[in-house]
Amino acid sequence: MSFDVLFNQFMSGIARAALLFLVASGLSLTFGVLRVLNFAHGSLYMLGAFITYTIWKTILIPVVGFYVATFLASLVMGGIGIIIEFFLLRRLYARGWPEQLLATYAIVLIITDIVKWGWGGEFLSIPRPIPFKGAVSLFGFPFPSYNFFVILLGLIVVIFLWWLVYKTRLGDIIRAAAHDREMVSALGIPIPWLFTWIFVLGSIIAGLSGAVTAPFGSIALGMDIEIIVECFAVVVIGGMGSLPGTLLGSLIVGLVYAFGIMFKPELALAFIFMVMAAVLIIRPWGIFGRPER
Amino acid sequence: MKRFAVLITIVFVLSLLVVPLVMAQGKPAPAKEPAKAPAKAAAKPALSKEPIKIGAIYDFAGPCYMYSETGMLGLRIAVEEINAKGGILGRKIDVVVRDTEAKVDVAVREVKDLLLREKVNFLIGPCSSGTGLAMQVVHTEYKTIRISAIANTEAQTVDKFSPYFFQVVPNTYMEATAATRYLNKKVPAAKKFCTINPDYEFGRRQAAAFEEEIKRLVPDAEILYHAWPKFGERDYTAFITAIMAKKPDAVHSSLFGGDLVAFTKQAAPYGFFEKTPFIALYDLPVLIALGPDAPEGTFGFARGDFFQDPNPKMMEFVDKFKKARGAYPDAWAVQNYDAVYLLKAGIEKAKTIETEAVIKALEGLSLDSLRGNFTIRPLDHMGSVPCYQGTIATDPKYPFKVWKDITRVPGEQVLRPEASVREIWKKTGVTR
Amino acid sequence: MMQRSEVGVNNSAVKRGWWLILLIIAFLIAPFVISKFYLTILCEALVMSLFAISFNLLFGYMGQLSFGQAAFYGLGGYVVAMLVTKLQFNFWLSLAAGTGMAGLVGLIVGYFCVRLRGIYFSILTLAFGQLIFVIIFKWHKFTGGDDGIQGVFPPEYLRSIEAYYYLIFFVCAISAFILWRIVNSPFGQTLKAMRENPERTEFLGIHIARYQLIAFVIAAAFAGLAGAVWVPFYRSVAPSYLTWIKSGEPVMAAILGGPSTFFGPVLGMFIMTFVHSYILGFTHFWPVIMGTIILIIIFVLPGGILEFAKVKITERREKANIAKGQT
Repeated sequence: MSFDVLFNQFMSGIARAALLFLVASGLSLTFGVLRVLNFAHGSLYMLGAFITYTIWKTILIPVVGFYVATFLASLVMGGIGIIIEFFLLRRLYARGWPEQLLATYAIVLIITDIVKWGWGGEFLSIPRPIPFKGAVSLFGFPFPSYNFFVILLGLIVVIFLWWLVYKTRLGDIIRAAAHDREMVSALGIPIPWLFTWIFVLGSIIAGLSGAVTAPFGSIALGMDIEIIVECFAVVVIGGMGSLPGTLLGSLIVGLVYAFGIMFKPELALAFIFMVMAAVLIIRPWGIFGRPER
Repeated sequence: MKRFAVLITIVFVLSLLVVPLVMAQGKPAPAKEPAKAPAKAAAKPALSKEPIKIGAIYDFAGPCYMYSETGMLGLRIAVEEINAKGGILGRKIDVVVRDTEAKVDVAVREVKDLLLREKVNFLIGPCSSGTGLAMQVVHTEYKTIRISAIANTEAQTVDKFSPYFFQVVPNTYMEATAATRYLNKKVPAAKKFCTINPDYEFGRRQAAAFEEEIKRLVPDAEILYHAWPKFGERDYTAFITAIMAKKPDAVHSSLFGGDLVAFTKQAAPYGFFEKTPFIALYDLPVLIALGPDAPEGTFGFARGDFFQDPNPKMMEFVDKFKKARGAYPDAWAVQNYDAVYLLKAGIEKAKTIETEAVIKALEGLSLDSLRGNFTIRPLDHMGSVPCYQGTIATDPKYPFKVWKDITRVPGEQVLRPEASVREIWKKTGVTR
Repeated sequence: MMQRSEVGVNNSAVKRGWWLILLIIAFLIAPFVISKFYLTILCEALVMSLFAISFNLLFGYMGQLSFGQAAFYGLGGYVVAMLVTKLQFNFWLSLAAGTGMAGLVGLIVGYFCVRLRGIYFSILTLAFGQLIFVIIFKWHKFTGGDDGIQGVFPPEYLRSIEAYYYLIFFVCAISAFILWRIVNSPFGQTLKAMRENPERTEFLGIHIARYQLIAFVIAAAFAGLAGAVWVPFYRSVAPSYLTWIKSGEPVMAAILGGPSTFFGPVLGMFIMTFVHSYILGFTHFWPVIMGTIILIIIFVLPGGILEFAKVKITERREKANIAKGQT
């Protein structure tokens, strides 16, 4: 097998990882601070994709229509995040995590039906926006420029989150709250609002990743369930709540899948769960995670 | 807060109880008629005037939701039409719908609900092959006929043949065989092939049928690589690069729906469609979803979307469908419409709804359908329904791309030969 | 709190015995009273209840939420389906084999899982569950892949719904009795103690991991038995029996009925099964209704229905006692 073939496959894996990272980073963020494993994250991603489509279809602005729709849909998802956090999750922080988990699962069920009822379950698609329609040449091989856009966006989100978590005062609070909630609360910082904003940020990222998927592939019912388990794999491998962990986790899952497809297509999917189980057995809190107190 | 939550609970429970009642009242005709019928029957021996009940069981969840919905619309149009003309044998048709949620255990339970509680006379559905096979065992046990208008795995008619099952959608073998011939006709020089199929029953059977037929047509054909993306895959990039690395002469695929939309958009930037002749299930919903992104010159196969067979009967149906839904009918609606008319023809020929008599009547029955004429083969109850292939092209008449060079392959040309069917039966233990 | 409930148990032990006998009689005469379809649903509710109790052994008593329990349920079903259809194996031995296989795989999976706590335990069980699902799904030649296996018929004398109902009822009743004995044995008490205070029990010289592993294997085996006895009733099995969505069903049932009680999950499963089939009769928007039910339970009846009822009854009895004391 020649170098260029492997390189091409490597790049496909990177593109896959970028999309996975986008979705998983929101999941990891909410888990890291709120300690809530949000099953509904995949559903927010699906809802974001459908809302982007509707906005794009309604405003019909040439060239920048998609970007405007992406922006607006992310805002809408942020609003939905506020609703979910304020009316549901906030009232459950004092409860056990199984109930929180189940509450987010209830949201999964409800959003599924909202999408079914609102969009009729048709599969939809948005054409790729200008200037990412074609491909660029990479060592003489074509590589879709939209994949670059996705990778770029993934990088922007990484840098933004890194800046937010490690370089701002808010970030200090976030890390402190993730470590010791009572302590931060005792310092007079309003934890509930911090949690709301973190959840909103997670929802916005979910909406954004949903929007980015729309031109990448197709939008259809069932895409929520399809992605959420893979995202669990990412955050579990990398370490829940850890930003570098999520990055590494998505790279591992993306590349394992891409090369799995090349060499043993029947087992590509099983490989991911094997890696996940192996990491959990050897290092339950993930590669970059810290052990639970 | 607590009180508010309790209030919501009470409202919710009440609405669960009341809504079904209101809904039952909302459609007075089917709800009241059976109540009246026995009273009449007591007076006159007109017991048979009670409606014929058809249980429509579909998968209203996930990717199957859309097919089930548009299929139901086609089914309802046919039923309304027949009822407006006085029904079948003077009896109205009543449709009872059930949802399988695309889960096999729910499918079996709901079929039992239709058979035991609703006491339906016939079944139509479902969409997914898995739920179809699971319910086949059950309705066979209860000796009730089912017609499949969407689920098309060959296992239903061949491997796990049931005398109570009929099919009006080309099965995986017919569809793949016809598509392979079209691909071979278009690119006769192709010798090295790759395939990419969704990793489940339907895709596996399509791939097997393709391999069988292409080796028959091109004896020195070589299959370089089978790609098996999971059903509902969102990112095909790695599959596309893996296929292109093998440099095939042509690629066969049975991807469909949202999967095919995603594949097409992700393959286009690689110049995949310029380099490689490709055939897949480019039917109407896919072409509409893709819009301008549909790759012109690429080959498609399908089961009878309206533009593939623009005969007068079809065009009449197009008008009705547009009136009901404001959209063009796809093959899923067309097949469900045909399924109802097949049932009507069978019952009228048998002059009764008694199951065994209807089976006898349906065997060898010839129907003038929306997709032209087809016959039910007595051997395995497979309809000799046509398969369509074409090349994607623009037509100014429509806001989406359609096909040119359309071939209509009558089912007789691609049905699995009787000897081959019997060979499989020998293996699976079917005696007939 | 502890003492109070103990008094309550002694007091109502006789009463509860009567209820149980009435309930058993009701189940025994059910086939003569209700229609075939409702009997089918009853069968489903019973089997799913066994599945839910087996899950609740881990969740309610051990305090560990397994998200891969459906893998054992499905595995039991697959073993029976394959033995019966491919080898024409004896039906009863197949049931035993399905149970044993689920227990065996439970031993392997459990060995790794019980060392983890909380959410990590849940996710590792989810990962193993999905792994088993993917293997069955992809091993097309052996398991039938996505298609599953059809035509799994029980012996001739068990073909009718009524006959099979009795089989299901006895299997579920006996299993429930065994599980009841287990949770009320010293072993069950130790499990509970470990949930409440893991450090102390460890200190007392009790090997937590070994106890939890035993509980895990028991839970897996009974989940396997539920699957094994279920599959011949619907004559087919498919990979969707093993997905994490299926694993979510006992979780919901337990939370609905009350995970801290033995019969809570049973009540939850009965409600879910009957409401589900009722709702599907007129709409296909079942998920939104189930979602609302879950939210209502979490917010209005935290701890589940049975727990809520228990608290109310204790309160009332206490009030009565106080009133009695005053007069």
